[in-house]
Amino acid sequence: MTAAMLPPLPVALPMLIAAVLLTLAHVWPRRVPDTIAALTALAVTSIGLLLLLRAAGGPITYWFGQWEPRDGVVLGISFQVDQVGAAMVTLIGILFTGSFVFAWGFFDEVHAVFHVLMLMFMAALSGFCLTHDLFNMFVWFEVMSVAAFALTAYRLEASALEAGLNFTVTNSLASFFMLAGIALIYSIGGTLDFSALAGVVGRSGGNPVILASFCLLLAGLLIKAAMVPFQLWLADAHALAPSPVCVIFSGAMVTLGLYGASKLAWQVFGSDPVIRAGAQHVMLAMGVASTIVGGVMCVTQRHVKRLLAFSTISHTGIMLIGCSIFTAQGQAGTVLYMLGHGLVKGALFMTAGILLATCGGIDEIGLRGLGRQIRPAGIAMAGGGLLLAGAPVGLMQHGTTLIETAAAAAGRGWVAGVMILGGALTGGAVLRVTGRIFLGLGALPGEEDRSPTEAEQEASDRPLWLMLTPCASLLALSLAAPSSVETFALRAITPFIGAPAASLQSPPAASSHDYLPWLTVMLALLIAAYDLSRQHLPGMLIAAADASFRPLHALLEAWHSGLVGDYVAWIVFGLALVAGCITWLAIV
Amino acid sequence: MIDLLPWLVTAWLMAVGLYGIVTSRNYVHLIGCLTVVQSATYVLLLAIGYRWNAGPPIFYDHPPGTPAVDPVVQALVLTDIVVGATVSALLLALALQLHKKKGSLDPEALRPMR
Repeated sequence: MTAAMLPPLPVALPMLIAAVLLTLAHVWPRRVPDTIAALTALAVTSIGLLLLLRAAGGPITYWFGQWEPRDGVVLGISFQVDQVGAAMVTLIGILFTGSFVFAWGFFDEVHAVFHVLMLMFMAALSGFCLTHDLFNMFVWFEVMSVAAFALTAYRLEASALEAGLNFTVTNSLASFFMLAGIALIYSIGGTLDFSALAGVVGRSGGNPVILASFCLLLAGLLIKAAMVPFQLWLADAHALAPSPVCVIFSGAMVTLGLYGASKLAWQVFGSDPVIRAGAQHVMLAMGVASTIVGGVMCVTQRHVKRLLAFSTISHTGIMLIGCSIFTAQGQAGTVLYMLGHGLVKGALFMTAGILLATCGGIDEIGLRGLGRQIRPAGIAMAGGGLLLAGAPVGLMQHGTTLIETAAAAAGRGWVAGVMILGGALTGGAVLRVTGRIFLGLGALPGEEDRSPTEAEQEASDRPLWLMLTPCASLLALSLAAPSSVETFALRAITPFIGAPAASLQSPPAASSHDYLPWLTVMLALLIAAYDLSRQHLPGMLIAAADASFRPLHALLEAWHSGLVGDYVAWIVFGLALVAGCITWLAIV
Repeated sequence: MIDLLPWLVTAWLMAVGLYGIVTSRNYVHLIGCLTVVQSATYVLLLAIGYRWNAGPPIFYDHPPGTPAVDPVVQALVLTDIVVGATVSALLLALALQLHKKKGSLDPEALRPMR
């Protein structure tokens, strides 16, 4: 098989298997769909790796039905695989493999329906990463959304249904915004191919319709990426979806919203200086706000999946800061951060799933000390917490270093402070959960006592080692990054951002702030230690700290009201804000 | 004026649909409002593809080269109608299940985890 035939496979294979499973699974023994689904995900991982190797010489383009452009007219639809897209497909394959193994036998009562939905979800996510056509991207966006809606509400319990409805309404609006944006740019360009559209944008010279199109597309994709003020749907959906599904939601789906936004910003709208300047400011502001809001909400949660959901908002905010720099280095760092975060967050959601299956609950305060008999899960959770906090090992740390260096080079060194805050708050929260559940510390709960929670349980029909193996593998993969990965990412990023190879930057000099990662880890440990030793600290200090922190927490918690009307109002406000800011920056 | 009309209709449908979603007290009504917002995007797409004094983009009984409206946007609308129907059906099914469990369709009474 030649490399030219590979690009459609990560999409076609899972779809084909899904169709086969849907027709035949009810006559097969129960473990067969589990095995087939896991092997399919493994195959997608291998195809992703193969694409990663083959795309080293330059992007691989595949025209469906051989409808190649003729005389400069593009009628066909193409997949274009660069190394960034291939790496994302590999991440998706790895996460799905882990999730299928983790969920072994978990969804017995519905036969293969879970597997069919998950395989369609995987096909859509892969297609979204590889496509080079705007409407095709929208179609994958829709398919991934529909699969995700069904998977969220799959338990058919009241809360999951409510969360599923909120998720569906908000994310459907995201796709309507995207479609409206596509319509507007098509009205100017008359084409949907990324390269052809980039030419149109370059020639149009600040056309306001293209500006409006960019605002709508950006808003649509950032709703999926759950960036402030579009983030409200995420916590409900992640808290109430089954844990094997959360692995994919946090590890891949949310991140892909950001991946799509940065891909469009570079590959379609990159040649318009006005849009680029506007996007820089808007993305930076939203990224900083998301990092802080997500971090503060994360540290005040008691429902472990909801806590991890807010940490996803915080870390996606850090990625958005990386995108907002608009340099090769910043983008390369963001991609590494996406990969590392996907693996670590996937592993953490698996530890939450282990709690649900073995301890019969997910409430941090209710589970205090109950994790003692599953200590290995505690070690995995502590490891994940340290990596979230920014321990100086692994993919996430390489990403952080690149983003911080790029920000400093762009004269925005202060964002390192925001990133430290986000890492310390989220890492501290996860470490606090570990200490309370697995060590029995923290008898006196703090602010997290006031957050919403729910009794929840998942089937406990699997041995612990079966659930721990994928979890530990994800953590090990995120740690296994060689030190040359930064150079590799910088080389891989050039086709993604459409820069000529000549402008390739040399890899950054070793960071002069070697103490920074340790500072975040120390801060995270300090936050966890403070929260866990409340009963030993002087009452005056605790009361004063709580009194100053409580109004902020109450305000943020009230903002996440669970009411779909509020969520949509904030989405409209956010769209107006994005459009207003970019227009204002274009006029000034 | 007639050129401006589809754009005004788009904006109007988008605005009333969003207003309906924000203020709705019944999920079935809310899902209806969502499809109104979706219809706004269809009007926008069809308006963009429309050509005055042109026929449908079917050349079975016309020679190629006859003026026709843009078939691409019609294909886009058709694709999205299919997805839109799926989403509406899924939403209504969720609402139905929720009504069975809780006996209410008021979003105020149906906040997750609260």
